[in-house]
Amino acid sequence: MTHLPYIVAAYVIAVGLPVIFAAEAFFRVRSARLRLEAIDMRRDRGRS
Amino acid sequence: MLHRFANPGQFLRLSGKVLPWLFWTGGLLTAVGVAWGLFFAPDDWQQGDTVRIMYVHVPFAWLASAGYFSLAVCSVLSLVWRHPLADLAAAEIAPVGAGFTAVCLATGSLWGKPTWGAWWVWDARLTSVFVLFLLYLGHIALVRAFDDPTRGYRAGAILALVGVINLPIIKFSVDWWNTLHQPASIGLTGAPSIASSMLWPLLFSAIGFSLLFAAITIARTRAAVMERRIRSLLMAKASSAGEQEALS
Amino acid sequence: MTRKNRRLLVLLICGIGLGSAAALTLSAFSDNLVFFVSPSDLAKSGPSGRQVRLGGLVEQGTVEKSSGGQAGARFKVTDGNASVPVVYKGILPDLFREGQGVVVLGVVQPDGVFRASEVLAKHDENYMPKEVAEALKKSGRWNPASGSPPPASTWNEPAKPEADRPRG
Repeated sequence: MTHLPYIVAAYVIAVGLPVIFAAEAFFRVRSARLRLEAIDMRRDRGRS
Repeated sequence: MLHRFANPGQFLRLSGKVLPWLFWTGGLLTAVGVAWGLFFAPDDWQQGDTVRIMYVHVPFAWLASAGYFSLAVCSVLSLVWRHPLADLAAAEIAPVGAGFTAVCLATGSLWGKPTWGAWWVWDARLTSVFVLFLLYLGHIALVRAFDDPTRGYRAGAILALVGVINLPIIKFSVDWWNTLHQPASIGLTGAPSIASSMLWPLLFSAIGFSLLFAAITIARTRAAVMERRIRSLLMAKASSAGEQEALS
Repeated sequence: MTRKNRRLLVLLICGIGLGSAAALTLSAFSDNLVFFVSPSDLAKSGPSGRQVRLGGLVEQGTVEKSSGGQAGARFKVTDGNASVPVVYKGILPDLFREGQGVVVLGVVQPDGVFRASEVLAKHDENYMPKEVAEALKKSGRWNPASGSPPPASTWNEPAKPEADRPRG
């Protein structure tokens, strides 16, 4: 007796959620870093 | 020691170094564990191939509790030592923990239907894990409920600590009461009641998903630290611009 | 949405979440603490007319699958001391078999028969590959109908081959 649909659904959920979380975290870190660099650059220019 | 890690600048430097390693080893171990569990692990003599759901259900169940424990540790650090980093970390752990708990409940339900014959029963184990999910949701809402973020962090920390009582209830519910959910197969004491050909893939996926959980929460906290720095820089700039305007 | 409304909404969600958490905990952990009662408990209390959950093992040699169009079965649930006859109409779970742990939901009829409306199979904490189960059964070290298998640490030992046994 196989329950393949149940197994596939469980694995899709279990692998999908960490992937979504990881991608979201990656883009959040990147955009924050870029914005921070932009602010620092503007500040440096203001000083010189 | 603690203060060094609690320094946001130090945290940014350290986490930047550790994160790639955490993500890649976690991803690799998870891939091995998932492929092993899905394609190579043996069928169970009673459950047939439904047993394969265990390789993704058990790590998420463990992380649902472990994640809440880390939330509680952050709450203590926040309430007693007032570490600003602990506040940010707690606010970032809760959504991840809620997501992992939801996956634990969903995969368990997908296992319960073919094995027990029911998607859901209100036994002590399932109910207490559902309460854990509600505690995570309560923390997410409470932290964001105040205009003054410090008050939100404080309220969330108190809620997290009140909810810690649920962790031993989850762990021992299957031993203390008659539940439909089976007792633990692996414990600190005593031999596991699971074949070693099934234990190895479970070990890989458990460690893999744990590293991924750690990597995700650290990355989110990193983003939160940088976002806070952006806010304060912008605010400082706005106020200094205001001063200049007032002077001229 | 004004700030006040947002605060109200968030607080409301908080209240609902915490309130239902508390309510669920109380209801689940006070009178529903025990998910099922044993046949011995049931024998002591007698027919009450109330719906209860009965948990135990399906007794050996008592399963009669109903013939004809309708799915269902008659069997006895035992805990070693007492056993309760059960009738059930409906589809049985895959794991249902003699010697298996089950939880049945239903009412004890005045004649002492338990009329079940739901049968759940209880899985135990043992995870064992098919081949190991076959080998254990073949070598006579374990009979699934008689109870739980030997400890997992002994499963990997090869089933005692004939050659190892003292000859003669």
